[in-house]
Amino acid sequence: MNGFPRKPSRRAALALGSAAIAAAGLPRLALGQQQTPLRLVDSPFFAKQVADGTLPPVVQRAPTSPRIITVSGDGREAGRHGGTMRMLMGDQRDIRMMTIYGYARLIVYDDNLELASDILEGFDVEDGRIFTLKLRPGHCWSDGSPFTTEDFRYWWEDVANNKRLSPGGPPQALIAAGKPPTVEVLSPTEIRYSWDAPNPVFLPSLAGAQPAYIYMPSGYLKQFHERYADKATLSSRVKTARVKDWGSLHERMSRMYRPENPELPTLDPWRNTTPLPAEQFTFLRNAYFHRIDQNGLQLPYVDQVTLTIGTNSLIPAKTAAGESDLQARYIRFDNYTFLKDASKRMNIDVKLWKRAEGAWFALMPNLNAIDPVWRDLNRDVRYRRALSVAINRKDVNKVIFFGLAKESGNTALPESPLYDARQAGLWMEQDKTLANRLLDEIGLVKRDLEGIRLLPDGRRLEFTIETSGESTEETDILDLIKQDLVAVGVKIYPRSTQRDVFRRRILAGQTIMSAWVGMDNALVAPEMEPDALAPTSASQFNWPRWGQFLESSGREGEEPDMPEVKELVRLYHAWRRSATHEQRRQIWRDMLRINAEQLFTIGIVNGTLQPVVVSRTLRNVPDKGLYSFEPGAFFGRYMPDTFWFDPSKAQV
Amino acid sequence: MLQYILKRILVMIPTLLVTSALIFTVINLPEGDYFETLAAEMQAQGEKADLSRIEFLKKEYGFDKPPVERYFWWVTGLLQGDMGYSFEYQRPVREIVGDRLMLTMVVSFVTIIVTWLIAFPIGIYSATHQYSWGDYGLTFLGLIGLAIPHFLLALVFMYAANVWFGTSIGGLVDPQYLNQPMSWAKLWSILEHLWIPVIIIGAGGTAGMIRAVRANLLDELQKQYFVTARAKGLPPGKALRKYPLRMSLNFFVSDIGDILPSIVSGAEIVAIVLSLQTTGPLLIRALQSQDMYLAGSFLMFLSFLTVIGVLISDISLAILDPRIRLQGTATK
Repeated sequence: MNGFPRKPSRRAALALGSAAIAAAGLPRLALGQQQTPLRLVDSPFFAKQVADGTLPPVVQRAPTSPRIITVSGDGREAGRHGGTMRMLMGDQRDIRMMTIYGYARLIVYDDNLELASDILEGFDVEDGRIFTLKLRPGHCWSDGSPFTTEDFRYWWEDVANNKRLSPGGPPQALIAAGKPPTVEVLSPTEIRYSWDAPNPVFLPSLAGAQPAYIYMPSGYLKQFHERYADKATLSSRVKTARVKDWGSLHERMSRMYRPENPELPTLDPWRNTTPLPAEQFTFLRNAYFHRIDQNGLQLPYVDQVTLTIGTNSLIPAKTAAGESDLQARYIRFDNYTFLKDASKRMNIDVKLWKRAEGAWFALMPNLNAIDPVWRDLNRDVRYRRALSVAINRKDVNKVIFFGLAKESGNTALPESPLYDARQAGLWMEQDKTLANRLLDEIGLVKRDLEGIRLLPDGRRLEFTIETSGESTEETDILDLIKQDLVAVGVKIYPRSTQRDVFRRRILAGQTIMSAWVGMDNALVAPEMEPDALAPTSASQFNWPRWGQFLESSGREGEEPDMPEVKELVRLYHAWRRSATHEQRRQIWRDMLRINAEQLFTIGIVNGTLQPVVVSRTLRNVPDKGLYSFEPGAFFGRYMPDTFWFDPSKAQV
Repeated sequence: MLQYILKRILVMIPTLLVTSALIFTVINLPEGDYFETLAAEMQAQGEKADLSRIEFLKKEYGFDKPPVERYFWWVTGLLQGDMGYSFEYQRPVREIVGDRLMLTMVVSFVTIIVTWLIAFPIGIYSATHQYSWGDYGLTFLGLIGLAIPHFLLALVFMYAANVWFGTSIGGLVDPQYLNQPMSWAKLWSILEHLWIPVIIIGAGGTAGMIRAVRANLLDELQKQYFVTARAKGLPPGKALRKYPLRMSLNFFVSDIGDILPSIVSGAEIVAIVLSLQTTGPLLIRALQSQDMYLAGSFLMFLSFLTVIGVLISDISLAILDPRIRLQGTATK
């Protein structure tokens, strides 16, 4: 790289820069490389501002080495600038969906679920513990201020390690073996984080749908920081905002995940321009966005996105009336026929994407139930297996999902590199004889006149399965399962409650069994944290108290005392210390195997379908996709900034 | 009379105090608080809630203090006109409620006026033409309005308006006019949407009012003074307006007490179904998410309006009907 002129022209640097990266073998610029120099094309949206000089031309706005996106394949083609994408949301807080859909991260998951740089030009890892991040030169925030390592330093020194702003210290993703990293600013575009022990969570946390932000727009935020701002101005700002002190003010002004502050500069494709509360939020294109398509058009293609806030139960109806150009949130599979019918009249198409939970519906035997008889029974693997093989999953799939889902345990999906068909089918086939034999083996042989088995203390083997009462499908499935279980002498009563009550009862051990979704993310890869497979959180309904124990570092909850669960905890900790890909894959495999054999959660179906409603004029939205928060960021992995409007496609 | 009013005003103070304590207690009854609800909601869709962050926020908003202390903060704030801070919207409650108050009042005023305009003539007609076809027919219509659940009616109307007139579903204005200054086009769009909530919210009220006007008027029509007036040759219209109609207004005046808070709160359920940007959905959402100062202050505001409304109706009743005023003093 030494042969290059020190200050190349932007165009030359663009071409040479990307070639050099390819040659140097740095991590890929994700989707593709462009060898010929690009002529950058600006959206007509900014034409007036550029002409009257209030905004620099696009050549000066884009980073010197932007991320070149080759939009192609799978019915996708390079598009044109323009248009407003309308979406419907149910709540003010949903503006964070724009941060999720935009999916501009330092590092992102690419098509193969591998980590690739996005905002970063590249990154370098040594021993799994020294990370050097390299920024794109000339990259700017949406307000035009430079995005440099100063923004990382500001966050690290003045936010993460500031007692007022982060009383709990830096976030968990930056703690390895109990210690924070050493942070060195190498140059305005290079920064290094090094730990004494490997930190496998660091990179995945940057690529998350809800990312760890390790940078903040320092240029803007310094005016709210005690260390930099003028005392008098700051105190008058605190007064006008009616907050307690500068800390609260900084906290409010600096939210990046939920872009509530229209003034806060961003790196996302669109920036919010509407303050809270509003009925409609307008997001305008970020003039300094770092992605460029193969024809030199600065992304996003779409100039404007509007989020109209309304009652969420009305969203399917409003979508059917053609009031949204891209909608999946608040739409469920049972709206499909209605939407399909509407698509005959309106300018919309309904696509079916696949959901990526490990189980759309799973039974969660509470291993921490307070009733000792039930707790012991729930902890008996034979009992869990007996329940699992008593269930006729085929019927559930046929009746509720028209046979379009997949009968499977709560485990990785076939699209995941860690998928194992044997694990997905383990204890999943209906086998009444086996179920009866297992229950007899436990000693539940006595039955009452109705044929219901009796517990050792004489009570009937009957219990309620609680749901959070959010969809009728849950209770329908339970009604089907009820028949299967009665056939082997187990009686269940489905009961739906309200979500808060539901959670509290489970955590208190009053619930014997509940129904909930399985692993949120079943598109797993070895680089992702296996926290869903071991007790790590109080919101895991099969072992809430054990999860609480780990989550609170032993201050609350109970220490796991089952050997298999202890093993899972050990493996989880081993993953947190692992340095190589190979180690991580092995740990993942072991954890998935234990979970599949032990059936700590009894999955019923997964791979259910998610309707995605797309305006016919909106191009590049894939026909088939995977819909999930992690790791796809819903639409994020398909890059909504490459979606574009083609008026010629309109037809009613 | 003056003494009567003064007494009534003094009674309001303890009433409001008790109400405020009740509201605060009831809102605090469910376990947990806004931040825990928020964490639960986030976890439900796979997002992570940083526990130390939640602890931090709780401390920030004084949730580590005992409830009694928080109650006193809140009440002293209220006395100074400070309605507290909404966690969900990150803004003072007054600003949030203020934004929506205007729209709510428009919907409610129009509804009330329309209800009166429809109910009075029909009620009078039904009373004066008792047991006629007209009486039966109109009563039947009114009862249908009363019998059908509002949310169902709302859904049917919205669907019909969308399919027949192309009106956008829900809301009070087409999406393109949101966040825009008022213009003729926007006003037209509002009018296009306004009739749905007005008819739906008004439907039940109209039926009730028709029945009440009819029953009250019928009572009066059989009384001696009316018969005498008619016998003396007073034309039927004038006789009706001058005596029995006035007498039958008692119930109507005593109803004013309820009107004031309902103007501000709007019809919550209908507003949610129709996705109206009024105060109703705001209040329900606040209660669900335990955004306690928003919910509490708003309820307090409604109680205040109720108390004022009752005062007004008591005073007007006393003016309208001397019997009430006299009885009031005689028993005390």
